[in-house]
Amino acid sequence: MQETTMDGDGKAQKNIELATFYVGEAVCVMNILQIQEINKIMQLTPVPQAPEYVMGVLNLRGKIVTILDLAKKLGLGDTAIDDNSRNIIVNTHDGSAGVLVSRISDVVAAETSSMEKPPTNMSGIQGSFFAGVFKTENTLIGVLDLDKVMGLEE
Amino acid sequence: MGQDESDVREGTTSIRVNVSLLDSLMNLAGELVLSRNQLLQAIGSEGLKNAEAVGQRIDLITSELQEAIMQTRMQPIGNLFEKIPRIVRDLASKHRKKVELSVNGKDVELDKTIIESITVPLTSLVQHVFVLGVETPEERSKAGKDEIAVLSLSAFHEAGQVVIELYNDGRGLDGDKLAQEAVRRNILTTDQAQSMSEKDKLELFFQLDSGGSDEKGERAAANRPSVKSDIDKLGGQLEIQSEAGRGTTIAIKLPLTLAIIPCQIIIAERERYAIPQVNLEELLRIPAHLIKKRIETVGNAQVVRLRGKLLPLVRLADVLGIKRTYFDKEEEHYKKDRRSRIADRRSKTLALEPQAGAEHVATEQEDTSSVVNRTGEDRRKAPESALNIVVVSAGAMTYGLIVDRLEDSEEIVIKPLGRHLQGCRGYAGATIMGDGRIALILDVSNLGSMAELTPVEADVIALQNQNRDSQSADRETRSVLLFRCSEEESFAIPLEKVDRIEKIQRNDIEYLGSRKVMQYRNGSLTLLSIDDIASVKPLSDKEDLLVIVFQVGAKLVGLLACGPVDTREVAMDFDNVTLRQTGIAGSTVIEGRTTLHVDIEEMTQQLV
Repeated sequence: MQETTMDGDGKAQKNIELATFYVGEAVCVMNILQIQEINKIMQLTPVPQAPEYVMGVLNLRGKIVTILDLAKKLGLGDTAIDDNSRNIIVNTHDGSAGVLVSRISDVVAAETSSMEKPPTNMSGIQGSFFAGVFKTENTLIGVLDLDKVMGLEE
Repeated sequence: MGQDESDVREGTTSIRVNVSLLDSLMNLAGELVLSRNQLLQAIGSEGLKNAEAVGQRIDLITSELQEAIMQTRMQPIGNLFEKIPRIVRDLASKHRKKVELSVNGKDVELDKTIIESITVPLTSLVQHVFVLGVETPEERSKAGKDEIAVLSLSAFHEAGQVVIELYNDGRGLDGDKLAQEAVRRNILTTDQAQSMSEKDKLELFFQLDSGGSDEKGERAAANRPSVKSDIDKLGGQLEIQSEAGRGTTIAIKLPLTLAIIPCQIIIAERERYAIPQVNLEELLRIPAHLIKKRIETVGNAQVVRLRGKLLPLVRLADVLGIKRTYFDKEEEHYKKDRRSRIADRRSKTLALEPQAGAEHVATEQEDTSSVVNRTGEDRRKAPESALNIVVVSAGAMTYGLIVDRLEDSEEIVIKPLGRHLQGCRGYAGATIMGDGRIALILDVSNLGSMAELTPVEADVIALQNQNRDSQSADRETRSVLLFRCSEEESFAIPLEKVDRIEKIQRNDIEYLGSRKVMQYRNGSLTLLSIDDIASVKPLSDKEDLLVIVFQVGAKLVGLLACGPVDTREVAMDFDNVTLRQTGIAGSTVIEGRTTLHVDIEEMTQQLV
């Protein structure tokens, strides 16, 4: 899994590994170190009265974990639960929570230096949830700012 | 007081644990790892027999581990009692009273969180009792008592609970004065105060809190939740007994731990929820054909008439806003309709709803007719359209929560909800059920306020009812549970003594020598039948039996009975001569039937 990338001159770049996943049709990434686990336990218990982006609660080996619908949180509609959908359980500063995504994809390595600030015209709800944008060879991928996504609605 | 609070906060950071306890925990953890390895092996080699043995072992280790971990949280109550002598000494010199304090039961252990949360209410109770209850030396000698008053604080185990008892031999409390004080502080209206029983008035003591007689204390008290709400939050109970001139006894009954609590599991909209047993008063089922008769509308509130009192009703699904908050105004008669709507809730029936709601506001009469038009008579007789009501109470609030179905009572482990759900006030936490799914634990007191019920409103309704219905104003009655043993004879027992009623099959009864037991909440419950002790006709030979569970002293006892069960409000006094025998306290005629009053304490004594 570890893909060490060395620069031509042998100087080690600051590399991070990113997990790619789909939210609806959109591709997002997050730092792999923020992820505790990825699972497909879909036995969610709905919580009436919870904010609408809360899908429900999940029993994760005896721990109760709140699962958020990432698409809803990002304002991209609902996530339909199917065979490809996964829960990404993340470590936040106060316990675990998870996000439901439509599909997970590869882990890619990238250099921090290639991350750029989100374009200023990417405004609104979506803009505030991204920490930056990565350029890959043929596409741009948004890096989720996990603290913002997991944060409480002001 | 501020000092105490900061002490509590510091205390939460660390805990002192006996090394031997820690050793046994380490031991168990080691065992667990070992068993896990065995289990993995057994699974790998497909040795099903082995797996079974390992499974048993893990089961054992898990329960021991749980017990040991629970023990680490237990702290002697002495830590808390140490603070009391100083408080009493300060009070004594301030109020120029002489008092001798005796403290007992320092070794009794309680969950750390409970000890921490009980500190403030207990000190404020001590202060309050001291100020109101204990007389000055002059008054005491005038009354012919020793100049030095006795104040005792003791802790002991009783019936699986810890009881903290606070006693003084002072002048006793005056219920009327407490009521006046409550009226002055706008806690009660004058009308309410007048209609209260002596016992209720004494209980005001807990709501008035430690204000005492001086104004400063009163102001301080206003900013603090009352002792009663503090204890309620812990799942504890408060009892008070007072005799003029003789003294006052206050008992605080607390659960041993907060981590595991007995709960009633209910189902609403196909999801399970748990209601803590401490909040549970009784379960009520209104058969479909009686709904029209029993459910009434007072103003815009739905109520059910329960033993002469009106009980406000709240539908759980509505309070939680499950799916169809739209149906908020729906009449309680429509259970069956609602069910069908769950199946096809996007269908046209929806469109009818606002009309029905509007009619409902008009009068009850009109409303009923609209129901008939829409659903047809036969539908409302369907057994599944009966209403299941869980009567719950929290603090001064009692209301009926309408749920879809009632399940078992279970001991559950409380787990906290995540940060995103902190805004949901209706839940006290969540728990994981046997099948691995999650059930939310309901916070009865918050649900009540979310439904905009207030204790006052409930009381006002009760009052309106009393004024209108002179019969219920007569308070020399008590509620009894009526049941049968054989088909012919009918028996009664005071309702407040009944813990639960369980439905069982005849073959659930196990015979051990001359004793009968059944499995109940992971243990054995001693069963007795009235005909074991009293000379009455033998227990009916039906297959479906009932077990009425009582708490007698420290243990639970089950009384075998058969239906139909019912509750009635009957006169307090009964004939205790004619039919008196062992286990039978006497008889009354209830609705043309001679009904025998069972004395459960006496029966239990006969058993041993």
